[in-house]
Amino acid sequence: MLETTLASPSRPEDATREDYLRVFDRARVLRARAAGRSTRLLWLLAGPGVLVMLGENDGPSMVSYATTGATYGVGFFAPFILLTFAMAFVVQEMTVRLGVATHRGHAELIFQRFGPFWGYFAIADLAFGNLLTLVTEFIAVQAGGLFFGVPPWISVGLGVLVVFASLALRRYATWERALMVLALGNLLFIPAALLAHPDGAALARAITTWRPLPDDMGAAFVTLILATVGATVTPWMIFFQQSAVVDKGMTRADLPQGRTDTAIGASLAAIAAIATLVASAPLFAAKIDVSQFANGADFATALRPLIGTTGATLFALGIIEAGLLAAMTIATSSSYALSEVVASRHSLNLDFKHGKMFYGVAIGSTLIAAATVLIPGAPLLAMTLTVNVIATLLMAPALLFLLLLANDRFVMGDLANGWRANLAGGTIVVAISLIGALYGVITVFPSLIGK
Amino acid sequence: MEYNPADLAALEPDQFSAATQTPLPRRELGRGVLALLVILRIYVLLAIPLVAYAFVRALLAGQS
Repeated sequence: MLETTLASPSRPEDATREDYLRVFDRARVLRARAAGRSTRLLWLLAGPGVLVMLGENDGPSMVSYATTGATYGVGFFAPFILLTFAMAFVVQEMTVRLGVATHRGHAELIFQRFGPFWGYFAIADLAFGNLLTLVTEFIAVQAGGLFFGVPPWISVGLGVLVVFASLALRRYATWERALMVLALGNLLFIPAALLAHPDGAALARAITTWRPLPDDMGAAFVTLILATVGATVTPWMIFFQQSAVVDKGMTRADLPQGRTDTAIGASLAAIAAIATLVASAPLFAAKIDVSQFANGADFATALRPLIGTTGATLFALGIIEAGLLAAMTIATSSSYALSEVVASRHSLNLDFKHGKMFYGVAIGSTLIAAATVLIPGAPLLAMTLTVNVIATLLMAPALLFLLLLANDRFVMGDLANGWRANLAGGTIVVAISLIGALYGVITVFPSLIGK
Repeated sequence: MEYNPADLAALEPDQFSAATQTPLPRRELGRGVLALLVILRIYVLLAIPLVAYAFVRALLAGQS
């Protein structure tokens, strides 16, 4: 068992500012638990799950959902989105258990238990995927700004400032609450969907029967399947939620609330994703070709005559929020992981003096991503469409590490995976690998199954 | 903020930042696990160039 191998409790004089800030948060949790105030307890312990799920409803994800709604309408993809968020819950629940059992981040666990050879591969995957995804978040911010006539350098500059402002809080609890308020913006897609006057009976029928099926199940369909999976389960989520659970100071006693937090996040994110699908479905009905749409703003502009200015404005605001929230969570995911790998201190409770590496990674990656978006002629459309595909392909090895760690009884003790979690996790790894392989075959031999 | 050492009891011993500096021991990787790790690594190393190829092809198609 892990507990027997760890250092003895630190002496009070060894405790850091980071420890004391965590103590302050934990004391409130312990008081709520002692008083039997279950709702307050859930409120205090909610955060990592909601943020990771709504954070994954990011710029490219919303564009993927919108593309799906505009290409195929509401049918097969509505229940498919529910399925992918169920997959996301299965995966992310394991990270909560890992976090409360080990009090260590995902990257440091991989490095310490598997060694640097495999650790560097895992981190290279994460750093590569995160940087590309971060670029697409600023593409979303820029695109949303364009809808309102804001020049790219202003919208992207403001986006960078918002990310930096969140880091300047230097307090996990405040950072988390600020982002949760911003995350509510993801729900703007719900009124946008209502303004599209959806057929509730058709939506219910689609969710229960997975029909109507698309007429064309060629390469474009497989790419959208892959992009929809990539819009829901990605490597950064694993690294982020486990580190956030640790930074928040959650313990084994908090596991039920951690699971509820993750389930609430998955439910809200699934509702927002399906709302985006529904809001874009009028483009399908109007037979508008979206294949050359560059970003979320193009969808908002095209939707204006169909769902009205209010609906289109909500859609564009939702795209900006999706990009901003994800930029903050993904930059933080990179910070946690890279700092853990070099055994540097890693917490949103650190001050700048002790968190140079931690904050430096977030600041550096944010600046690189923002600058890339502002390069004249940069292939932003192709990047947005490619990022979710890359995320899905990188997910298979990331999931294998997750499964191996979740089965590692030395670190997990009695919280190790049972057969049900292994069956579900194993099925997800195989499914994601097969979809990725199918994508590869279609890419090399596009004539095999048509467009 | 006032720091009271007595409050430190609210944290479990292994939650202190100093405690997490102690690395965990390496685990022994069996042949099956190693094979899975290698297979998925090859999968990624093959898949990423394919995506790059599709990305470049999409770019060229957009220019023509």
